[in-house]
This record gives sequence, C-alpha cells and structure tokens, in this order.
Amino acid sequence: MLKRKTCQLLVPIVLLAFSPLGQAFTLHVKNKMGEPLSQVMVTRTTAAKTKADLSDDGYAPNGVTNSADTTLTRFTDTAGNVRFDDDYGPVQYRARAQGYIDRYVGSGNMPGSIADATGERVVGLILTAMNEQQLIASYPSNVWLSQLSFGGDEELKNHFELNCAFCHQQASPFMRNERTVEQWRSVFERMNSYGAQLPLDEHQKIAELLQSEYRELRENPEVVPQPRPWEGHLSEIEMKEWVIGDGFSQMHDFIIHPNGFVYVGDNLFDRLYEINPETGDYTVYKVPHKPDQKIGGILGNRFVTFPKMYNYLGVHSFAISPRDGNIFITPSMQQELLEFDPKTKQFVTHEMPGGYYPHTIRTDAQDRVWFTLAVSSQVAMFDRVTEEFKLYDLPARSVKEWLILQSLPLIFAFDPENRPRPSPDDVSTGLPMPYGIDVAPDGGVWVTRLYANDIAHIDPETDEVTMIDFPFKGPRRLRIDADGMIWIVAFQDSLLVKYDPGTNLYSSYELPVINEIPYALNVDKDRGVVWVNGNQSDTILSFDIATEKWKVYPMPRQRFFTRDIEVSEEDGAVYTTNSHFPTWQSEGGVPTLLRITPLPEGVAAP
Amino acid sequence: MFFRKAWPLMAVFISTGVPAADEGWLYYGGDQGGRHYSDASQIDKANVSDLDVAWVHRSGDVKTFGEGMENTSTQSTPILLPEAAGESLVYCTPFNRVIALDPGSGEQRWDFDPKIDRRGTRTFRCRGVSYAEEMSVAPNAQCRHRLYLATHDRRLWAIDARNGEPCRDFGTNGRVEIFGDEGYVPGDISSSSAPTVAGGLVVVGSGVIDFSRSTTPRGTVNAFNSRTGELVWQFDPLRGHRNSGAANVWAPISVDEENGLVFLPTSAPSPDYYGVDRPGDNLYANSIVALDLASGELRWHFQHVRHDLWDYDTPAQPILFEWTKNGESIPALVQVTKQSYVFVFNRLTGEPLWEITEQPVPPSQIPGERASPTQPKPIAPPPLIDSFLMPSDAWGFTPWDRGNCAKQIASLNNLGLFTPTSEKLTLMYPGSLGGANWGGGALLADSGVLLVNINNAAFTGQLIPTPPENSAQARTDHPESGERMQVTMQGTPYNIDIGALMSPLGIPCNPPPWGKLIAVDLFKGTIAWETALGSVHEMGPVTAPFHITWGTPNLGGGVATGGGVFFIGATMDRQIRAFDVDTGDTLWKYTLPNDATATPMTYVYKGRQYVVINAGGHFMFQRGYGDYLYAFALPE
Repeated sequence: MLKRKTCQLLVPIVLLAFSPLGQAFTLHVKNKMGEPLSQVMVTRTTAAKTKADLSDDGYAPNGVTNSADTTLTRFTDTAGNVRFDDDYGPVQYRARAQGYIDRYVGSGNMPGSIADATGERVVGLILTAMNEQQLIASYPSNVWLSQLSFGGDEELKNHFELNCAFCHQQASPFMRNERTVEQWRSVFERMNSYGAQLPLDEHQKIAELLQSEYRELRENPEVVPQPRPWEGHLSEIEMKEWVIGDGFSQMHDFIIHPNGFVYVGDNLFDRLYEINPETGDYTVYKVPHKPDQKIGGILGNRFVTFPKMYNYLGVHSFAISPRDGNIFITPSMQQELLEFDPKTKQFVTHEMPGGYYPHTIRTDAQDRVWFTLAVSSQVAMFDRVTEEFKLYDLPARSVKEWLILQSLPLIFAFDPENRPRPSPDDVSTGLPMPYGIDVAPDGGVWVTRLYANDIAHIDPETDEVTMIDFPFKGPRRLRIDADGMIWIVAFQDSLLVKYDPGTNLYSSYELPVINEIPYALNVDKDRGVVWVNGNQSDTILSFDIATEKWKVYPMPRQRFFTRDIEVSEEDGAVYTTNSHFPTWQSEGGVPTLLRITPLPEGVAAP
Repeated sequence: MFFRKAWPLMAVFISTGVPAADEGWLYYGGDQGGRHYSDASQIDKANVSDLDVAWVHRSGDVKTFGEGMENTSTQSTPILLPEAAGESLVYCTPFNRVIALDPGSGEQRWDFDPKIDRRGTRTFRCRGVSYAEEMSVAPNAQCRHRLYLATHDRRLWAIDARNGEPCRDFGTNGRVEIFGDEGYVPGDISSSSAPTVAGGLVVVGSGVIDFSRSTTPRGTVNAFNSRTGELVWQFDPLRGHRNSGAANVWAPISVDEENGLVFLPTSAPSPDYYGVDRPGDNLYANSIVALDLASGELRWHFQHVRHDLWDYDTPAQPILFEWTKNGESIPALVQVTKQSYVFVFNRLTGEPLWEITEQPVPPSQIPGERASPTQPKPIAPPPLIDSFLMPSDAWGFTPWDRGNCAKQIASLNNLGLFTPTSEKLTLMYPGSLGGANWGGGALLADSGVLLVNINNAAFTGQLIPTPPENSAQARTDHPESGERMQVTMQGTPYNIDIGALMSPLGIPCNPPPWGKLIAVDLFKGTIAWETALGSVHEMGPVTAPFHITWGTPNLGGGVATGGGVFFIGATMDRQIRAFDVDTGDTLWKYTLPNDATATPMTYVYKGRQYVVINAGGHFMFQRGYGDYLYAFALPE
C-alpha cells in the first residue's frame, strides 16, 4: 500500500520534471468530492506589475508608450477542464466558481501535475464550497437590489435607481452595511453634491427604507435569489483585460478604430488611451485645454475633495469619421467638439455656438457628426465641410421647462460657485436630458431623452424633429440594427426595447438577469446580436435578434460597471470597459478595457 | 521574534484568586474580559440624583512633583482587593506610585513608590494595577496576595497586596526589567496599562514612541511567571517585518482563562503615516490577536486595518461576553476601534458574528506606497461616526467662520475613511484620537448593549517632503488640544503635519457633538441611542455660567451598573455624569476639580455602593492637573 502511494506521488513529479515547457497545459477543477466543476472562471494574471513610466501625476506622460498589465480569463468545460499556455513568467491563476471560495495558485504554489494520454500536463485544482454566509455575501448587487421593495412603492424605487445607480452598484456589500438614517441622509447629500439628483423631499423616506429593508435582508438572507448560473457557452470564449489608468480614473466610452487600436477616454483626467490589443501596449494622449479653462469646465468642479482631478473637458463619447478616420470626441464640460487625428496624434478643438453638455456622439455616412446636448435638450450636427454647427432644439414638455432651457445661458453666465442651482425635485432636474443617439441606415437620426421618456427623430434632409412617446422608463442609450430597428435600453424598467419605425410598434424583452439597470447597448449588425451593458450584476448580455435568446457573460471582477460596448466589425470581438465610479470600488481598484473573443483554435480542452 | 519557554508546572498551583465579585471590582476592566459592568444596584435611576461625595483622597503627587505634573495624564482605575488580600482600594498614580486606601473612608493604608526613571519626555500615566493570589505561597505568608505593576521605565513589579512590600521571590527583589539586553532608553518605550494576570502568568504590553522613526522598538508582548518573574513566552506582532517596529499592545489585554486564550489589541506599525518600506498588510499590527495563554502560540487573529497609514491602533481592551441570539449562546468578543467600527467575533475561533465586508478604499498618491485596496468593515453595527465631511457640513458660530471651514474642507483630499495622507492636506476623520479610544466600552449585563464614548473631531494631515537634515523635532505623543504638530518620521522622505480641523475662532469645523456617548445593540446590530457627551462651557476664552452640551473630546471610559446607570467622566468640562442606560438621559452630574480622564469603577463595601474616579487631568487637553481620587455614594 505504501509503495503504491509513493508511486502515485512520484509519477506526477517525474512527469512534471520532464514535461516540455512552452506547451499548453490543462487545469482540471473539481470539488472536494472529486466531481468536475464546469463554468469555473479561471483568470491568469501576471504576478509582477509591468514597469511603466507613470511620471505624469501617476499617469503615462503625453505620447509615451507603456505596456498594460494583462489578465486572461477562460472557463472550464463540462469535464472541468480549461487550457492555458505554459507559464511564461511568474503568473497567478484565480479559480472562481459560483458557490465556491476563490482559489489562487501561481508559479510558486501550483499543485503537482500528471500527464494525460497525449503527454500534456494536467494540474488538478480543488475548490472548497462556500458556507451559507459566504455564499449569500458573494452574490452580486442585482440580486440583493431585487429584494428592496421600497415599501411597495415601485415608483420610488425607480426614482432611486435613476438617480443613484448611474455611477456605481447599489447593493454591493459596502452599500448593504448598516447605517443610521442620518448616515444614509448624509450619503444622499454627498452624492447630490457629486451630481446625483435625488429629490430632497425623498431623502428621509428613502433613508428609512434602505435602513429597514437592508436589515430585513440581513435577518432573512434566504429570500435573496441566487444569481443566474453561469452557462456552458462560456467555455467557448476567452476574456482579456488591459489595466489602464489608476483608481482615480474613469474609463468611460471608447471606440474600435480601423487602424487596429482601441481608443478609450479617461473621463476624469482628460486623457485618451490608444491601446494595441495585439501587444497590450498603450500610449496616452493628453487632451489640451485652454489656459482660462478650469477643472470641471463650465459645469464647475463637483469633486472638490477628490485627491486628484484633471477634467477640464470631460472626455465622454467617441465617433469615427468614415472619410478620414479622425475621431470625434464630446467634451461634456465645454461648449466644444474635439477632433483627434490618429495619424498625427493631434487634437483640434471646434468651438460650438451654444448648447450645453455634449454627450453621446455618432457620425453618418455623409461624414456629418451628430451628438446630443444633454443639458440644453438639443441635438448638434457638425458639418465637416463647412465646419459649422447646426443645433436642433428638442421641444420642452412644459412652459416651466421651456423657461428653464431658455434661461440656461443666463444661468451659465454665473461663475459655477455662485450659480443658482434649483433643488432637485421629483422629476429630478426639470430637464428632459437627450442622451443616446444613433444614425439609421436611411440617414435618419434617432435620440432618446432619459428623463422625458420619449424618443426623437430628426430628418437631416428636412430638419424636421418628431417626438415619439417611449412607453417605458429611462430610455438611456439606443442603437440601430441593420434593418433599421431602434434598440433602446430602459434603465429603470430593466428592459431591452425594440422600436419599429415602420409600424411605430414597441417590443420589450426581459433581461436574463434580475434587476439589472442597463446603461447602454450596441448591435453587432453583421451577426444580428444586441449586446447590453450590465452594471449591477457583474455581467454583460447578448441577445440574438433572430432567436430572441439571451446569453450572459460574467465579468472577471466584482463591481464591474459597464457604460459602453463595441463590436469589432472585423472579427466580432466584443469590447467593454470597467467604468465603475469610483473606480477604486471595483475589485482590484483599477479600470480595465475588456475584450471577449471566441477561444482560439486549438485551445479548447481536448 | 516569537519566543517560548517551557510552561512551568508551578502554574497549575496558581490562580488569579476569587472570581470577579458581582459587586466588587477586582480587575481594571471590572472582570478579566473588560466588561466595565457591576451588578451593584444600590444606586439606581431613581436615586442617583442624590449621589454625593463620600470621600476624597489626594495622592500627594502635585506636592511632590510640582510642574512635573504638566507631563502627566491621570488614567488610573482602582481595584478593590478581596478580604483575604486586605480589602483595600488600590490604584496607581501617573508616576507609578501604588496607593492602598480604606474603601469606606479613603484613608491611606500604605503606598509603594517604585521610584521610576523619569528621564525623557514621554508622558507619565498609569491605568492600573492587577491582583492575583499566588496559591503556591503559603496562606498568610508574604506575597500570597500580590499586586503587579508595569511601570513607565519598563519594570514589572510584584508587591504584597496587604502592605505594598516588594515580593522578594519575584525577579530581583520584586522586579523584572522588561527591556532586555538593549537597556532602557528613556522616552522610547514604556508601560501604562495594567498587566494581565492569569494562568500563572503576567502578560505585559508596552507603549512605544509614535511617529518619530521608521523603525521604532518592537512591540513585543512578554509573559512572565507570576511567582518568579521568569520569562515564559514572547510574542512580536511584527514577526518577519524588518523595516518597521512597534505594533505594540498599549491598551489593556483581555483573557479567557477558562478557554486558555489571551487577546491582544495591537497597534500600528512604524512609521505611522508612511508605509513604503513596510509593504503588505503588516500582520499582526492593527489586529486582535488571540494567543494560547499557556504557550503564546497564535490561535487566531483579525486585522482591522491593513497596511495602516492613519495611526489606527487597536485602542481599547477587547471585551469578552456571551453572544445570545436565536437561542444560541456563543463566547464572544467585541472590539471598538479608532475608526469607529464595532467588530464582534466568536472569541474561540475568530469567526465574525456580524459579517465583515471588504470595503474598497482609495489608493495612495505617494510614490511607492501600496495602500491596501480594501479595508474590513462590519456589515453591522453601523460606524459610530459618519466619516465623510463635505463643505456643506461645515460648522461655525457665524457665516464667516462657517464659510472659512467650508473652504478648508473643500481644499482637502477627502474620500472618507482610509483616504491615505498625501502631500496635500488630507482629512483624517476620525483622527488618531478616535472614534473610540482606550476608555473602550461597557457592556450592560447580558443585554448585548454596549455603551461606548467616542471622539468626533476631524483632523487633517499632510506629508511634508523633507530632506533628512531638515527633520522636525521628534515628538513623543499626539497633538495637544488645538495644536498642529509637525514631527519627523526619521528614515522616510517626509515629516508629518497633523492637527485638528479648526475654524479661525478655534472651533472644530465639523458639526457638534464633538464627543458622543452611544448605546450599540450588538445583537440587533443597531444603534439604540446616542447623546452628546460633555459641555463646552469651559472651553471658550470665558467660562459660560451654564452648560453647553455640544460634546467634547474625551479620554477615559465608563462603567455600567445593575442600577441601570452608566457613570463616566472623560470630558473636557471636569464633570462626572450618570446616564440612563435605556435612554441616554443625563441623570446626575458633578463638577470635579480637574478633568476626569480616567475610567470610574464601582463597588459595594459594608453595604454601601461607591463610585470612584480619578480626577487629575490629561496633558493633551491642557486644562490643568491634579491628584484627586473622588468617591461618591448615596447619603447614609
């Protein structure tokens, strides 16, 4: 018996010793009963931080190229296997499965391996099941949030989500902490100073509800539903993450350029990250501002107590010129439009004649640049030929709203510190907030108005503006598919909505995860897939238009909040950024660009 | 360096004597688990307003030491010895004199002066002495009943509890030198809390110089044989960390003798505000460390601050109690912290009884500083302080000073608790004073209600790049009242500038109350009530003729009683107060000659309940000093 055990021990050691390096190996993940675990998320991280020149206040200086720290995530198949290339340096593997305690192994503590029939190394990894408390604590924000009923007042909950869930997750562990009513009220006041618009007369009620309902959940955690199980399709893909910026950054929108780079905007530090997804190298371009411009731009600095902030412009949304590949960027804190030439790496600033808060931006086939003006309830069109702007006023919903919109130039004439600010009321701002925008195959421009619950159509030929009611709450961003269907996410209603301009009919689709609050979406026109940004469930979601089937993709970090999603026309790769604000609340405390691609040829476990 | 010696057989013949008397006060914290609770109920809610002075004792330190008293902090809580040990009320003065009194009259029976080495600038304080009956010594023989005293100059004394004479069989003529071969360096390291005596051992922590150096002395905890003074084991909380020091245990230690566990509240590693040279979590600093009492081996630990950059020592004695919830009873431990969290554990296993979450916290901007990305936070009870302070929260007497405070707050780095200090002025709220501090909490019988006094004054701090030749003067303690201090952190590229966040009028910029008393329901995980603790009527340029109850910074703790009353001094208004434990209403107060920055105790002697408190002031408050011990009782 002793001899047999010794042999069993020696065989893997001997095999490991003679195993050739540079080849793939398999991680075989199982539970303590020896049962293989499928859909285990295995993330490989380089153990040593990549050396980088971060001498510009913690960031790469303008024009300097660094290499990003990179992670690679794959999922085990039904046999519990996942393959990786052999270690090329000190790396760490984190195995994460729903209901199991994360396990970390690395170059220094990798369990012994054996060889399979083909001679390839197989490393066994055993995961330990969570206890009840650990299990429930591990659930993502959305399932906890789903159990907050706000005393049965659905309207109030919607209002809370609209105003409080656009920066960060709402029911993460540190939001569920017990707080006194006064402490909750203090949180609301602080968040309103950062830009939330939670009505003052709702503070006390919501504070009391959050206190009592979180207490109730802590006492009865069994009522919290399990998150959606991870599914088999995950073993067919891999995710790569590039760490860019730091814990104070906020990587907002981005764009995939035909030149092969991905351009990501750091919304809080006026920097453009040019990332080569083939190499992981990135170069930072600092967006120039005028000497008289101040932090926070014309909106004023809402983050005065933050340790560092460099948002004179507020790099927000991106669109590419179909003519010359220049990138147009909305600087939300100025009356400007930015143009970046990826060949010369130079910025050009186009002064706008009016309008406030340049927001989401798209280009049309005629190389015109369209973007929403969120505060002034307008849509702007920049004609690249004439270099002139045309502003389209979207209608006010009331005389009061019209008066507010008309008085914006007067209001903005005041210094931000002395500017009159109306107290938030139960319609949040009194402003309709045009938000998402896209251009249809027929050239028509479509716009959502977040607070007004309507959509606008602009006919560029006639300049006619048509408003259409949106029968759901919170139309945030929209995208248009190859057939001209308008796809919209309804933020508070947790829905994907399709609008058929031909029939004026809406179709709505329940999201596959409970109480997700979708921020944005995109359409893979070639493959007929709608991709929806998750922000409460640590997932992103895909919806096959033809079959109306969903797939759910868990993100490799907890508190992963996505605001933009792009699909590579070339290969269908899907990109998103972790845009939780503040970033340091995300797992790992750093922002990342993430790419999902099919598993490379030959990597699938044999 | 962990060090262990054979456990002497003698230990089995030793005990700490009688268990805590229900109406006595045998230990610094009332019992070995520091509950600060007495069953005594003669004084109750209905009659506490009749309380009056029973007697006053003066130690004579003022007469003896004169202006030397300015560098003292009177923090001692007396203990009441059992009848077999002489039934004296015993306490220590800041200069480590031990004085035994008649508990009924306050008349002095004996005193013992260890004649400490008073060199150095370190502040003098003594929180208490400890008692044990040495069962291996013949009944009625000298030193059968012993008192243990850990002194400012790092000596551990054993003296006879009945007459104050040194025990000749302990160390050298009754004393053991704790500093070892490196010798005593005045000002570097001292002892202030009462030693812990249990299982035949005397366990002693230390106070170590704050701020000044990157590598301060190690914060090694020593356990000595209670009969002989022989060293039995040592525990260095910072084992393996070379470029650091301290993580010492200056707050009182708790012990669960039945389960053979001793609980150490460890402090911050050095230097306090710069951690580049001590990467990682810095275990076992800023922790509750449970050791096997007999061997000193680690049983479990919980680190409540990882890679401390804020001087968030574990400031108070871990409180041991029974957790009863849903019909289940668990031996538990509750720990209050400077950052104003309340952590509750199964004390046998370290398993949290309220889930502890990983709170993401902001990164540091100091080159090379890897601040921990997360810090532990209990899901309940709630923090005792709302640690965010926004410009709109600024407070002032007038629009002018309120506006000034708002501008100051707006100019600070401030992302709430655990914002790392940087080269820009950064909010430290709570500051190193707490939150909670060494007064700790009092647990109300078996109710699960913890009464805890906290400070609520915002501080600011800034790292000042400094060439080594321009280092500021070394300091030995924290900023005094209203003071900004800049001290060196030798061995680092910075000095640290720290002070209270004040308006031009010298008023805290955060809204009052600046001191609070809070009742925390540990079983429900909620705050039952809270009230302002202290009046500012004496803190202005002129003393107001009436109390202004906005709370004051406070140091010292309180005692809860079976009469439903909580007694506490601690404040900067010379008051001792009695509160209703159910409502927080003030039931009684008395003006003492000095601030009573000590924790009161209570006992029943010959059928009469007394409440006793030291009133000698605290150097940090800069409000005068004295040498008073006050006893209160109902009229006979």
